[in-house]
Order: sequence, then C-alpha cells, then structure tokens
Amino acid sequence: MLEIRSARKVFYKGQPDEKIALNDLSLTLPTGNFAIVIGSNGAGKSSMLNAISGALMLDSGKILINGDDVTALPVHKRASRVARVFQDPMKGTAASMTVAENMLLAELRGKKLSLNRGLNAKRLASYRERLAALNLGLENRLETRVELLSGGQRQSLSLIMATCDQPDLLLLDEHTAALDPRTADIVMQATVRAVEAFNLTTLMVTHNMQHAVDFGHSVVMLDAGRTRLEITGAEKAEVTIPKLIGHFGLKTDRMLLAS
Amino acid sequence: MDTIYTVISNFIALVPVTLAQSLILSFIVLGIMLPFRTLNFPDLTSEGAFPLGGCVCALSLAGGAPGWLAILAAMAAGFLAGSCTAFVHLRFRIHTLLAGILMMTMLYSINLRLMGKSNLSVYGTPTIFDGIPFVEPGFPVSKIVVAGLLGIAVYCLLNLYFRTERGTAMRAVGSNPDMAEAQGISIWAATIGGVGLAGAFSATSGALMVQSQGFADVNMGIGTLINGLAALMIGEAIVGKQTIRRQLAAPFVGAIVYYQLVSLCLAAGMPPTDLKLATGLFVLAMLALPTLKRSRGPMPAREAIRE
Repeated sequence: MLEIRSARKVFYKGQPDEKIALNDLSLTLPTGNFAIVIGSNGAGKSSMLNAISGALMLDSGKILINGDDVTALPVHKRASRVARVFQDPMKGTAASMTVAENMLLAELRGKKLSLNRGLNAKRLASYRERLAALNLGLENRLETRVELLSGGQRQSLSLIMATCDQPDLLLLDEHTAALDPRTADIVMQATVRAVEAFNLTTLMVTHNMQHAVDFGHSVVMLDAGRTRLEITGAEKAEVTIPKLIGHFGLKTDRMLLAS
Repeated sequence: MDTIYTVISNFIALVPVTLAQSLILSFIVLGIMLPFRTLNFPDLTSEGAFPLGGCVCALSLAGGAPGWLAILAAMAAGFLAGSCTAFVHLRFRIHTLLAGILMMTMLYSINLRLMGKSNLSVYGTPTIFDGIPFVEPGFPVSKIVVAGLLGIAVYCLLNLYFRTERGTAMRAVGSNPDMAEAQGISIWAATIGGVGLAGAFSATSGALMVQSQGFADVNMGIGTLINGLAALMIGEAIVGKQTIRRQLAAPFVGAIVYYQLVSLCLAAGMPPTDLKLATGLFVLAMLALPTLKRSRGPMPAREAIRE
C-alpha cells in the first residue's frame, strides 16, 4: 500500500522561473493495485515517481509505504521496498557488468551484503530459470556484459530484476516508450505476467493511451502537479481512448499521436 | 655494434634493480587503477598518498617500529587521505580530479609538518626486506621476493573480494551509480571505502620505497602519477581489462614492463631529464589511439568524449 499525503515540491523557489512540480499531490494505492498514471508533459509524473523512490526530497508532505513513513529516507534505504524500471534501458542496468552480476545486484536489493562469494552455482541456476521465462535467449548469455545486449533485451532484464524480489511497490516509468512496437509488446506482456503472478502494487507511467485502457485496475491522471482524475473499478473497465483524451483538453497533441 | 652491445649489457645489469623497483611501484599503479576503473573516479590523491606513506613509514621506523608495522601505519594514513578525497567529492560536489589536486597539495604541507624537515634518513633500521632466508639483506633479490609475494597476496585477495557480494556492489557503483543506489547500495560507503583502499595501496608503495632506499623525501611523489598511468596503460594493452582478473593483473604487469622500458631508454642514452616528456607523450598516445582509429567522419560531440 502506497500513500502520498499532500506532497509538495517547488523547483527554483523564489526565482523568476519557479516551477511547482508537485502541488499538494495526494494519492492512495491499495496493496495489489495496478495503477496507470497519465498526464501531459510537465504534469508531475516523473517528479512523483522520483519522490516515491527517494531521488527527489519533498518540501512538505508525507510518503508512506505499507504504513511506514519513508519521507526522509534516501534512495538506497528505500531500495528494499521500491523497485523501478526507467524509460531509458541504460539506466536500470550496470552496463559494464554481466547479466548474471546484474541479476545478483537485483537479488541483493536492500539486503545486508556479505563477504561470501556472490555468484554461486545455485544462484546461477535460478537466474537461468527466471530469464528463460522471457523467451529472449538471455538464459544462455549470463556471462555477457549488459552493454552488448539490445535495448529490448536490456529493458526485459531490468523488468526481471525489478520484479524478482517481489518489492512492496513497483514503479514503471514509461518503460516501453523507447522500444520498437514488437519489443514493447514483449516487455509489456512480461510486465503483466509478473504483476499478476506476484500481485504487485504497481504504478505505471505511460503516454500510450491504449496501454492505459488495456492494463491496470485504475487510471490516475495528473495535471499541474496534482491528481486531476482517478478512474477505478467498473468505470475503468469501460474507459476508452477518446474518453481519456477528452480529459486532457486540447493542448496534448502528443497523446493523440501516441495512440 | 659495440654501442648496441654496451646498451644491452647496461640494460641487463639493471634488470634486477629495476624489477625490484617496479614491484614496489606496482602498488601505486594499483592505487591509480582501482578508483579509475572500478569506481569511475579518476583520482590524483596517489601523488600525495605515496609520499605520505613514505613519511609515515620513515617516522615509524625512526621511532623504532618494525618494518611491517611501519607499512601498516602508512596504509592507515593513505586510507585516511583517500577517503578524505572521496568525502570532499561526495559532500561538496567537487570534481574528482579537483578534489584530488586539493588533497595532494595539502598533503605536501602535511608531509613536511610530519617529518619536520624535507627528508629523513632511516638507513640502517631493520626493514621488511630483512630476514628472507638464504638471501643477503639489501640485495635486490630480497626486495623482489618480498614485494613480489606482497603483490601476489594483494592480487589474490582483491580478486576474491570483487567476486563477493560487497565487491560486486562496489563495482556496480562505478558502472552505474544511479542503478546501484536503486539497488540499495550506499554510494558514500562504496566510494569512501574504495578510494580509501586505493590511497592505502599508494601509501604502501611509498612505505616500501622508503624501506628500500633508506630515506623519505617530501618530493618523492613528484611524477609518480604519470608514471603509474603510463604503466597502467601498458598493462591494460597487454592483459586487457575485460574481466576482473585481467583488470587487476594490469597494474602489476604494466609496472613491470613499463619500468624495464624506461630502464632500456636510459641505457640507450636518453637524458633522464627528458623522461617526463617521453612518458607524457606516451600516455597521450595511448589515450589518443582509440580516437585515431576512427578518424574518418566528423569529430565526436563533446558529450561523447570520455576517459
């Protein structure tokens, strides 16, 4: 369960180019809920995800994960609860390290690190098994450095890494936006499989209206740093692209183009 | 023909001495490589940590400490210097190179203060190179054995460490700090620990050098950085850097080859005063080589220039 209470963040405060990124934003996401976050550029989607992951410290407000106040915790102290997949496939993996080493880092997320050997036979076998589920052949490339993989392979790896440990909260930041349609589809299917299998509490930011219609239990629309609309339950099941776009007003050509 | 013969015989006569020297200096090459390659933290502290290690070692020896204890004291001082550089970078967001220059400059005064004068002779005190059975003390062979064994031990330990969970985490910080942090790894702990460890190795090099030559000098660090960098480039060109094992072997192999090359140049009659120019040009050439290979097409954009 994620609770954001009146989160506020202002950039360049008191200067001419002051920008209110989060304007007393509040949001509650029950455990096991898969919410899709939409909103035009600059609506505060990324700021919200950054605030949840700890990359952005709030000016005021609170963030609670499963009832625990994490507002003051830095990124690495929230890692045991929050996993994130970025839009840029380069961001979520360590490029100069091997696939197996990346899987190891994900498995150790938020845990106390020991001086025991990291990659043992048991772990390698379990990584092989998990990667085989993707059907991308990654299970045979455990010793390959990640920088030699394609964008789609890297993003699939990021997803497996983020979900392998069943985090309390999964953040997906336009994670299919940089991929070609076919790969985006593979990654999206893998996402849905993982989220459903582990019943993960998930926030997915997307500009793809079709995804907003097809996936998730609810849709959250952000505008000017606050939640403008929440569509849940039966209403979410009946939502269509034109209905969603209707809420955006006229300024969002990019939405139309993307859908 | 005679001149070539003289050059070669001069060179061969110097091989053992040079080998001993290069094994001692391989630790500073390791101290340069660790932050640069595993933490992506180009660091200049080593040029200050090397004489710091030397000074602390000389003071300990003069105070009656045994050789190994003097080296441990030097390592502790070097660790402190390295971790200070890392702290300055992390806390005040100062570029790693500038943080290193600041530390190196301040260490010069600190070294002078520690010793109270610009050099300190410890000739005749017992050193770590004594007590090797069947070898006459002071002879290069004892230095080769001691420094070589130390090098092998450090290489094996680091090799094991970088395969542990913690070692893997430290490498992740160098590879992608944002990702590492998102996996719960503390950037601060890894950077301070890693750069500190590198400082400790640079100081070890200085301490071994002092015990080998019998005196410490505040100026003994000048030029060690560029020599170390040149040695590292050679080592990486020979053994590569694709795996941890190779990357860790590069400083040792590089140091051994580089100092023999320098010795060959000197034996061939190159004035020692030109050595820095030659070394600088060599490092420049090694760094420039990759860009020359893809000389066709436009220059890469500024952001694309790395290393």
